[in-house]
This record gives sequence, structure tokens and C-alpha cells, in this order.
Amino acid sequence: MSFVELRDIVKVYPDGVVALRGVSMEISEGEIHGLLGENGAGKTTLMRILYGEIRPTRGEVFISGRKVSFRGPWDAIKNGISMVYQKFTLVPTFTVLENLYLPLALMEKGTSIDDVRKRAERLLDELNLRVPIDSFVEELPVGVQQRVEILRALLLKSKILILDEPTSVLTPIETKELFRMLKELKKAGITVIFITHKLKEVRELADRITVLRKGMKVGTVNAAEVTESDLARMMVGHEIAVVQRPSPSIGEKILEIRDLWVKDDRGIDAVKGVSLELYEGEILGIAGVQGNGQLELAEAIAGMRRIERGAIFLNGREITNLPARLRYRYGLAYIPDSRSVGLVAEMNLTENSVLTSLSEFIRKGRIKWSNAVRRTSEIVDRFNVVTPSLRVAVRYLSGGNQQRLLVGREITKEPRVLIIAEPTHGLDVAATDFIRKILLDFRDKGKAILLISTDLDEIFQLSDRIAVMYEGRIVGIGRNEEFSPEKIGLLMGGVHAQDISS
Amino acid sequence: MLRTSLLEIPTSIIISFLLGFVLLLSLGYDPVNIYKIIIFGSIGDPDYLLIRSTPLVLTGLAFSIPFLTGTFNIGGEGQFYIGALLSLLAAYTTKSSLMAIAVGTMAGGVLGALIAIIKVYRGINEVVSSIMLNWILYFSILFSITTFLYDPLIPYQSVPVPLDARLGCIQILGERVPLIFLIAVCVAFISYYILYYSRIGYCMRVSGLSPKSARYAGFSPELSVITSMVLGGAMGGLGGSLLVIGHTYTIDTTMSALYGMGFAGIGVGLLGRNNPIGIIFSSIFFSMLVIGGEMAELRAGIPTELADALIGIMVIALSMPYIYRIVYTYIRSRK
Repeated sequence: MSFVELRDIVKVYPDGVVALRGVSMEISEGEIHGLLGENGAGKTTLMRILYGEIRPTRGEVFISGRKVSFRGPWDAIKNGISMVYQKFTLVPTFTVLENLYLPLALMEKGTSIDDVRKRAERLLDELNLRVPIDSFVEELPVGVQQRVEILRALLLKSKILILDEPTSVLTPIETKELFRMLKELKKAGITVIFITHKLKEVRELADRITVLRKGMKVGTVNAAEVTESDLARMMVGHEIAVVQRPSPSIGEKILEIRDLWVKDDRGIDAVKGVSLELYEGEILGIAGVQGNGQLELAEAIAGMRRIERGAIFLNGREITNLPARLRYRYGLAYIPDSRSVGLVAEMNLTENSVLTSLSEFIRKGRIKWSNAVRRTSEIVDRFNVVTPSLRVAVRYLSGGNQQRLLVGREITKEPRVLIIAEPTHGLDVAATDFIRKILLDFRDKGKAILLISTDLDEIFQLSDRIAVMYEGRIVGIGRNEEFSPEKIGLLMGGVHAQDISS
Repeated sequence: MLRTSLLEIPTSIIISFLLGFVLLLSLGYDPVNIYKIIIFGSIGDPDYLLIRSTPLVLTGLAFSIPFLTGTFNIGGEGQFYIGALLSLLAAYTTKSSLMAIAVGTMAGGVLGALIAIIKVYRGINEVVSSIMLNWILYFSILFSITTFLYDPLIPYQSVPVPLDARLGCIQILGERVPLIFLIAVCVAFISYYILYYSRIGYCMRVSGLSPKSARYAGFSPELSVITSMVLGGAMGGLGGSLLVIGHTYTIDTTMSALYGMGFAGIGVGLLGRNNPIGIIFSSIFFSMLVIGGEMAELRAGIPTELADALIGIMVIALSMPYIYRIVYTYIRSRK
């Protein structure tokens, strides 16, 4: 009898997205269990079901052989399950002690803050850990905050600890510290489930590893018995169907990026010295797991994000510090990953169609809406946008039609370089094929496309060249044919190119 | 949008009438008679109605233009005061209505800019700073009128606007139309043009609906907030200016003619669906209720508070569906 058993879990979200297609897995008591998969594989969804935060559409959860059905996380916590997210749930203006006291005061009536202090100090001693218990949380480094989250879970008498991508916010030293702590916990009999996409880490830390792919379980393996290549193959999976693409006719160098450094919203380096060249008539695909600096790179090129160091040249002209509007005028176009950024949901189609090229529609200080209407109907006709009229707010359009409008708007501007992020995210098959065909046609007209996608099928189908980003750096670049799914999986999982060849 | 408005407005009016009926009946008044007075009492004197509507058109715009960039200008009140006071001073010293209007408008604009700049660069919430400024200005103006600017002949009033600088009525198709109302209508149309046909208007609307999209398109949402507050503040200032040179010609030492105009503008703006043309109509409607309420006090003997309550019920009922929608989209867009 296993400690935790998930049996045949199916999860369909209300918007029709199927996140899990019948996953069964077992977790033994006192092990560190790695849960590995790409973006959208269903790792987090599966664990949120175990944590009681969302309910499965079908399937059952057993703990120590007893069937459970949690109504919410508090139920799970009472049953000894805790989850630590990437984004922490501490009150930043409270001290560590106050944060530890907060849930205990609710769960155990009559606990005093002094009791909590004693219990916390005893626990820290046992685990040989150091946490400044009277410091304010907001003044602590991220790694220590995470330790507080784990400590809180242990004070709640958790027997099972779920960690969602715990190393994504940590520095390498903090990661080492975390691993040491998790091994201590294992000795103390705590079961740890570790969600990750990093191959090295999972093999270093976990006893057993379960690999998910597109909502299905690929298998569970003993960490000691597999290589990183095996894991990469399991994670990325099937051979990708080769699409017949006319070979590219490469033209002039049009975009050059030299040693680019960019920070993310938290002020942490997200892009760390990226250099790239983009030529007319090619699609350069940037592959990588979400959150490895791809979007910050795209925003920096488009002029939405400050560049700390390095330079960008568009057709020989330096654009490093130009505002977005001028970059667009010099022939750059950017389609962001989020349609709620690329389009203004509450505005109608016509108003949206002038968003990135307003100057073209201004005559003597006045917006010529008649010209905008003409442009919009051109986009609607050419890109088959289904809409009742040009005057409806775009939020009433389906995702696919919004994306057609967005891509159509930027392509109609005939830019020389198109930066496009996650072009088919969340779209159905028909819309996906349509958008991909548009991009290939655009390339064949001699335009340059920088494609950023976490969808490997898309990267392989469209790209002439592929670059893989990992933790803000380009860790591998080459022609499409040079990459096997296994190789790209290893690179995305943080195994460097020199390690692969050796 | 238009169709939903057409359905909402009659429903809201019916609901507010029903609530008012219950209220009046329960207090022992004759609802039919009182509503008759409220609705028809003001129509007998159209140019007075239009004069009373004028400041509301402008404070309505003072609220609605910043609102389109997601800024809550509750400072229309203070902008209105400063516009009124400085216009009075300008008119008194230069004897020119044009000068008075220019000074009042600019003063309001500067005040709006101040609120916007400390919001954008110092992160100070505009509602907090506006309310503080409202009271600072209220008491400063009261102080300066009672201390320096009082009329020696009528000590409870400020010095009057000289006759040369006053704006009266002009004849259009045999009807007397107040000049200040015409100015307000022109300004509302210009505002409409700016919002829907100019670059800055488009940038402001995009910034308000989706700041991230604005940044993506290469507009600065911060600059839009400042622009909208300068415009909104200028509207508030112009409102105060027009009231003084076209209606009261003086400021009384209790400031009763000024007080509450800026706040009423919030209701007028929401009632006009934040559309400058809609605001013209909503301010006339609002003034009708206010004048009607005053009449009902005189003729039917209901207390002031009850008249205010009847107006309040109607405005709330009319604004409710719209407020619900904008709050909903506001919350969704900030997520």
C-alpha cells in the first residue's frame, strides 16, 4: 500500500482546456519524488488537486489507503499536506514569527505566540537550520523566505510537502541550501514532492521521478537508473512530424543583438548577455521553458523594457535606446504573448487596428477613422477574422479571432522584422494552422521573424534556425536539422551543449 | 452599448420613482404632487435652468476626462474654487471676461497637473491629495474673501465682477440663451473631439483601459494621466470661472454657491456615461432635479434633506448599472 495514490485523475478546466487526461501515480512515505515535465504538462494542476485547491473532473485520491476528497487547502493541511508556491504567501510586513503564528492561531485554538516561538526554535534545532525569527519578512532574501514557508508547513505538522518549481527563484547557492534542507527533512521522515523542469536538479535530489507530458504520465523511474538524456526523451517525447517547408532564401542581416542584459519586473537579471543575429527570409525560433528570459528579451527588442547593457541594431541603425514608437516606424513589429496586451479588450476592432501605427492615420492632427475602417476591413478579409461588425469590442471575439486580428494588424504594416511570442497559445487547431501558415508565407516574402515559443512542435515546424534559452542565456543555437528532440530537451533542462557531446 | 443604455435608463428611472414614492408615502406626503413639481417646476424658466446647468457640464467633464485614463478626479471641487476665485480677481482688476476665463481655466489646469504629478512621480493617491487640496483651498478662499476681498458695502459678499466683465444672454431664434451655457456646450464638443479624434485622446483612452497595451504601443500611460488631469483641472477651473462671471458675479462668504459643484460633477459625469455630449444632457437633467427640489421645498413644504434624498435616489439608480460595469472592467484590467 502506497502512502499517496492518485488514481486516474482527469481535469478539464471550465474553458474546455484538458489539463490532465487520466494520470495515476504513487508516492511512497519518506521519499523525495520529482515531478518532471514541460510547460503545460499538467504538473502543477495535478499537485493542486492533491492539495485540494482544485477538484478533479474525474479520479480519486488515496492517502494511506483511505479515500479522501478535500474541500479546500485547509482540508489538505489538516491531513498533513502542504504546498509551497513559486510566489510566496507570507505577509511581507509581519515578522517571521508572526507569519508562523498566523495559520496556527486559526488551526489550533488557544495557541499563544510564545508556544509558536518555542516550537519553531525546537524544530530549527532539530533540522539544524537558521532562520532569523524576529526579522520582518520583506527584509529577508528570497531563499530565506522560502525556508520560512517550509518551516510554516512543518509547524502545521505536514507529512507531505509539495514544492512548485522551488529553485526558479533561487540563486545557485540558495538552491544548494534548499537541497540540503530537503535531505534533512527526508531523514526526519517527511515526504517531499518536487515539481521541476530542470533535469540535473531532479536527478540530483529525487529518489524517484514521474514524468508528465501533455496531461499524460510517461512513466515513473528510479533516479539512480536513468540518465539526463533518458529524462529529456521522456519529457519531450515523440519524434516531431516534419513539415515540408520551402528552404529559406537568406538575405541581408537585418537585426543584430550584442551582449544584451535586461532585468525582469523584480529587478533581477533576466537576460544575461544574449547575442543574436537575424537575417531576412528566415525564422529564428527561441525555445525554452517559460520564465527563462525569452519574454524579457522580446520586450527589450520591442522597446518596452529598459536595456541595462548591450546594443541592438535594426538594419544597421542602433535602436538600443529608441522608444517603441520609433522602432515600429523603422520597420520593427512586435506581437506580445498576451492578447490582452496586444489588443485593448474594451475597444472595438477599428480602434484596435491603429494601436501600433497611429501616426499613419493622422491627417492634420485628426485621426481619420474612415482610413482606419478601410484598414480594418482589409485585415478582417485577408485574415478571416469572424466578427459581427467592426464596431464590436474585441473582447467579444474568440481567442482565435483576436489573434488573427492582432497578427493581421502587425503583418499588414509590412514590417521588416517581426518579433512574435507564443503565437498560437490557447488556440484551436484550425486557428493554429492558419497563424503558422501566415508566418511561413511572411518569411517567404523575405521578412525576418524572431519566434519565441515554449511549444516545441511549433519551434520545429516553423524555425529555420533554433536557439535555446536557459536562465537568461542562449545555451545552444543552430540549424533546425541539428537539433533532435532529445538534445533540445537537455538544453532546455539546463544541460549544457559541451556536456551533451561528451 | 447604445441599446443597453436605452434599456437601462427607463428601468432605472422607474425604479427610482418607485423608491421615492414609498419614501414620500411613508413620511405622509403626496408623492404625485411632489414629483409633478420636481419634474415640471424647472421648465418654466429655461434660461435659468441652462445657467444652473453650466457649471455642472464643466465639473462633469472635470471628472470624466481623467476617469478615462483611470484617474479618479475628486478634486473638481478644489479646481472649481480656485477657478472661481482667480477669475473674480482677474475680472476685478482687468475688467475683461476673456481674461477672467483664461486665468480661471489655467489655474484649474495647474492644480490638476500638481495632483497628477505627485501621483505619477511620488505614488500619492489622487483621491487623498485631491480631498486635502479641496479643503485647503476651501478655507484659504474663505479666508481671503472675508479678510481682503469683501465688498465694503455688502460685507457678506466678495467684491463684485465689474459690469464690463459679466456675461449675459444672447438671442437665438427668439430664445434667450445664456452665453456661459453656449461656452460650456462648445467646450464639451471640443472635449469630445479631443477624446475621439486626436492622438492624445486616443492615448488617454488606451492608457485608461489597458496601461500595458499603452506601453506596448509606445505611449506613456503616465503622460496620459498628467494630460488628462491638466484637461480635467482646466474644466473645473473654467466651471468656477463661468459661474462667477455669468451667474453669481460674486462669491459669498459661506461659499454656498460654490460648495458641492465639484462633487455633483462626479454624479453628472457618471450619469452622462463619461461621454462629453452625454454630460451636456445629464447636467441639464441634474439641474432640473435640483431646481425642482428647491421648488418642492417652497411649494409642498418638504424638508431640504428629503428633496436631496429624492434626487440622490434617482442619480444612484441611474448610475448603478454603469458603475457596476466600469468597476468590473477596471478590476479585470488591473489583474
